[in-house]
Amino acid sequence: MFTVVKVVVLVILSEVWNVIAHILFKKSANTVDMTGIRGLSGHVDYLKKLLSDKLIWIGFGFQVLCVATWLVALAQADLSFVFPLGSIQYIFILFSAHIFLGEKIDRMKLTGTLMVVAGIILITMS
Amino acid sequence: MKKGHLTFKVFALIILNDLLDSVAQLGMKKGLADTGISAVTFQNLVEFAMRSLSSWLIWAGILIYVISFILWLVIIYRIDLSIAMPVGSAAYVFIPLMAIIFLHENVSPLRWLGIAFVILGIHFTSQSKKRAA
Repeated sequence: MFTVVKVVVLVILSEVWNVIAHILFKKSANTVDMTGIRGLSGHVDYLKKLLSDKLIWIGFGFQVLCVATWLVALAQADLSFVFPLGSIQYIFILFSAHIFLGEKIDRMKLTGTLMVVAGIILITMS
Repeated sequence: MKKGHLTFKVFALIILNDLLDSVAQLGMKKGLADTGISAVTFQNLVEFAMRSLSSWLIWAGILIYVISFILWLVIIYRIDLSIAMPVGSAAYVFIPLMAIIFLHENVSPLRWLGIAFVILGIHFTSQSKKRAA
């Protein structure tokens, strides 16, 4: 029982780091003007611009923390238990993208996200 | 192309990203299993880290993660994060479907229901009309 609680806490912690990382990535991507990006060279310029932004690297640090926490969780529980738990990230992202990035939540998006989470739980647990 | 709409191209990029992630995940799980450590404690944390980092599978997994990360930066430039993430769950549909078609695996009714939920969920999410300003 103790291990189960520990694994759940680790997975949630891992997803919190993950969500922080993604919010930072998207925040950085949003600062780039969208009109100029075309073709391979345009994309290379875009990536160069992003990779020189410190937000990306802070986000990357959180991503490393996320993977490390995830690995510690995986090492003591089956993937088939850890994976469905991880689907909580879609709910975290929905609300944090709304709060920190101003992305809108409408009924479609909310319904869709909840169905995805339910679907993942059904697929990975059955 | 109007920013924020889920075009086929963006959808295809998200699927490719999913596939890379799955391969990385499998490699890392195999690499971890090879360490022979089933429970991580403070006592064996260093040994766990050393053994993990000496596994080529773990490093291959990390490399593939880096590639998929670059791809992800291109994806989120084009679409809302709260759309890109749920759509990324398409892997949960494609992988079982491939297992059914190519490996002739049996799929329980409950798993079919899960697959249907994910497909509908992606559909609803991509129909979301409101975009971030």
